[in-house]
Amino acid sequence: MKIQEKIPDQTNDIEQLSPVLKKLRQDVEAFKVPDGYFDSLSPRIIDRIQEQENRSFSKRFVLSFRKPLVWAPSIASVVVAVFLIFVIPAKKVSTLQVFDEWTEINMAYDASYAEEAVFSESITIDKELANSDINITESLTPSHKEPTADEIKAYLKEHETETDILNEY
Amino acid sequence: MPEYSDIELVELFRNDDKKHYAFNLLVRKYREKVYYFVRRMVIDHDDSDDVVQNIFIKVWNNLESFREDSKLFTWLYRIAVNESLSFLKSKQLRSYLSLSSPEAMMVKSLRDDPYFDGQEIQKRLREAIIRLPKKQQLVFNMRYYDDLSYDEMSEILGTSVGALKASYHFAVKKIEDFVTSN
Repeated sequence: MKIQEKIPDQTNDIEQLSPVLKKLRQDVEAFKVPDGYFDSLSPRIIDRIQEQENRSFSKRFVLSFRKPLVWAPSIASVVVAVFLIFVIPAKKVSTLQVFDEWTEINMAYDASYAEEAVFSESITIDKELANSDINITESLTPSHKEPTADEIKAYLKEHETETDILNEY
Repeated sequence: MPEYSDIELVELFRNDDKKHYAFNLLVRKYREKVYYFVRRMVIDHDDSDDVVQNIFIKVWNNLESFREDSKLFTWLYRIAVNESLSFLKSKQLRSYLSLSSPEAMMVKSLRDDPYFDGQEIQKRLREAIIRLPKKQQLVFNMRYYDDLSYDEMSEILGTSVGALKASYHFAVKKIEDFVTSN
């Protein structure tokens, strides 16, 4: 006869199996828990779940950056953006002329800056004249002789002007 | 607080807006049963607390895919059994480094336990249970303390009813011998 067949039906087996253990069976649990343990259990589990979800999100984020296909285009676009924002405008500033619209604005309140700008402009004009065919010295020097006193008198007489007026000076 | 059936709780959990609420209700419904089952297996309160939290985290992670061809309680109990056994196994591995056996450590933990409120004979009974093989411990605790039927135990443990009856029979006899020996 197998041992399973000897074992009584499951309904009240402890009474038949062991009256001693039947007596020891208690209604009150002998294991105790700290005060408020069960009330705090659910929030603590929820906290751990959220922590776990946050960790798995950041882990996914970090793992995604281990793939060059993800981070390489990002880094390339950052480099291009830095080049466009900082490097190209910086080059433009170095080729700016001294006398531009900003200089004009500055001249309104900074006389020294204005003088510098005018000086710079005159140098530019001098250079341009030097390279051109115009002879500035010739154009400024009078080509005719100084009139004599007789010539002046004759001119005034011709235009009916009192010659005595000249003697007053 | 409204009393929901297990099926209603699972349906509520599958609704994203009520997921936390449903989970809270589920924890409230089963926390004592799960805790005391684990506590009888691992003895120490702090260890039990860790195991219980792990059980409910597993429930959170897997409840959405829970198939309703088994009862929620049976499923929960199966997780509790697996988690408790895993914990005891890891404790056994750790005990290789120390001089005392895991059973001896658990008996010591029981004797020093500030959260054990029973007579000396009750301690002796628990000590006898600790000394049983793990499978017999499980069967004895489920039947003696939790009043589970052999059919329910069979579904949880995946063992035949006959084998469970035999395990229980041997467990009862060993415990009785230990308790009455002194």
